[in-house]
Amino acid sequence: MKIALLSESPADEAALRVLVEYVLREPFTQVAPALRARGWPSVEQVLPSVLRHLHFNTDADGLVVVVDSDDSVVHTAEHEAPGYFHPGCRICRLRGVFRRTIKNLPRAHGRDRVLRAVGLCVPAIEAWLLCGRDTSITESAWVEGQASGRPPYSRRELKWRVYGTERPTLSHEMKRAVQEVSRHRGDLRRLENDFPQGFGSLARDLRGWRTALQAGGAPRSTS
Amino acid sequence: MITAVQFRNFKALRSAALRLEPFNLFIGPSGSGKTSFIQALLKLRSLAGLSATPAKELEGQKPQGPQIDFHFAPPLEQVRVTLACTSDDLVCNALAVDHPPGAVGEGQWAEVRQQLRGIRAFLFDHYAMAVPAKRSDSAELASNAANLAAVLAERRARDPEAMAHLAAGFCRILPEFSGLDFRDTGDGRVELLAQLTDGGEALAAEDLSQGTLYLLAILCLAHDPHPPGLICIEEADRGVHPRLLREVRDAFYRLSHPLPGDRAPVQVIATTHSPYLLDLFREHPEEIVMANKQGNAATFERLSDRADLLELMKDTNLGDLWYTGILGGVPGE
Ligand SMILES: [Zn+2]
Repeated sequence: MKIALLSESPADEAALRVLVEYVLREPFTQVAPALRARGWPSVEQVLPSVLRHLHFNTDADGLVVVVDSDDSVVHTAEHEAPGYFHPGCRICRLRGVFRRTIKNLPRAHGRDRVLRAVGLCVPAIEAWLLCGRDTSITESAWVEGQASGRPPYSRRELKWRVYGTERPTLSHEMKRAVQEVSRHRGDLRRLENDFPQGFGSLARDLRGWRTALQAGGAPRSTS
Repeated sequence: MITAVQFRNFKALRSAALRLEPFNLFIGPSGSGKTSFIQALLKLRSLAGLSATPAKELEGQKPQGPQIDFHFAPPLEQVRVTLACTSDDLVCNALAVDHPPGAVGEGQWAEVRQQLRGIRAFLFDHYAMAVPAKRSDSAELASNAANLAAVLAERRARDPEAMAHLAAGFCRILPEFSGLDFRDTGDGRVELLAQLTDGGEALAAEDLSQGTLYLLAILCLAHDPHPPGLICIEEADRGVHPRLLREVRDAFYRLSHPLPGDRAPVQVIATTHSPYLLDLFREHPEEIVMANKQGNAATFERLSDRADLLELMKDTNLGDLWYTGILGGVPGE
């Protein structure tokens, strides 16, 4: 499979490469050059152009987009209802951009569209990196903290726990990211259990790709 | 470390106060006081080499003359240094010191003085860096980094491990290069060479891009085993690709926030006009200083002092927020 990754930093991308391969259970070819966005909301702003570029100028099968939730609304099962859209949820918003952008694109490179996989790190990738090491770090803990106005941990604390400093170098971040995600050794049950929406959505999108590709060209997205 | 500075009638800084962190990134238009602040620090360094006046002797000076007060981090918080004018000159040329009495106070002032003499300011000049440097000019990096080749050649001879770290960092950031080397040009000068990954060829400094040379100068400082105590770098983003600005930030943090047990922190004062560099400080707004200009008066404001900052950052990058003008630090129109 030929896959493009759009994330907020080279460290996020390094972790994603491992995770995507674990979900797909096979190596993939990353479409070059590496795409990068400058964090939210720039991801949302550049996504239409990135999708058009991938559709017309490359033979990419799909695009993986992963962003941090920061303090935004976390995607829930209710958001999955047909026609539902939460304007404060980054997964809903990114899916909306995918939907609007690919709706009117003509076929190119033998396919209707570039497939979509969207993930949300709640509240940041470091939470995923700590999954399995610290059972108190979960999507539900974060969501409950948002509701009560007492977040269980801050992004700075998560950084401390993963990197041993609030100001890690990029190379240290990349090294730690790959170390931690590789710890799952291909078994993503824990990550899907603890991060059922942010990581779960990404995994479900990716698992749907094989069926979509086997059907010969991707079906239109319904969500 | 300098923890706070108060300005009175110093150029455009009529009445401005500033709290300083280990790392500080200044943003703002021309004439907003960024360079004046760095000039004040350099003045402080040169006057620290001369004899100081006891603070009480300043009392008779003209009451509204230019004056800058400096405060220091514990255990030196009781030492206060004032740069002031003793005549009608508009230039501050007197250094007054207030410190606790006795040998303890003298010792504290001696330590502050030592720190002040370690202040360095850099504005890199790639034309000067492209020319081979005098080998003997290797004691420390010059303010325009013209002697970069000599400094690095000397470091390789004296501290090959530190030089190897620097070279490894350089090649990781710019993978088109596989190593650094030096060549004697025969007249007591040394030239810097960067080995190309493909082809085995080496490029001389004069063939390296502006951004590559600046990055090397920043790495030279960041990997210095014995760096100066306070470093000012103007236009820190200059010539560097936006995607590589993270590496510039990392290099500064390497100076200001060394790993425990590594060496003493270096206080860093950097200026930039790059919204992309600013974006990288979303999680540390306390490290950003907005320099504002209203009419002829300039003031400083810490980004973290903005009460509505978190709300503002929810849906906008810091760099974009800055550009809109709602943070301040933009030119008048
Ligand atoms: Zn949603």
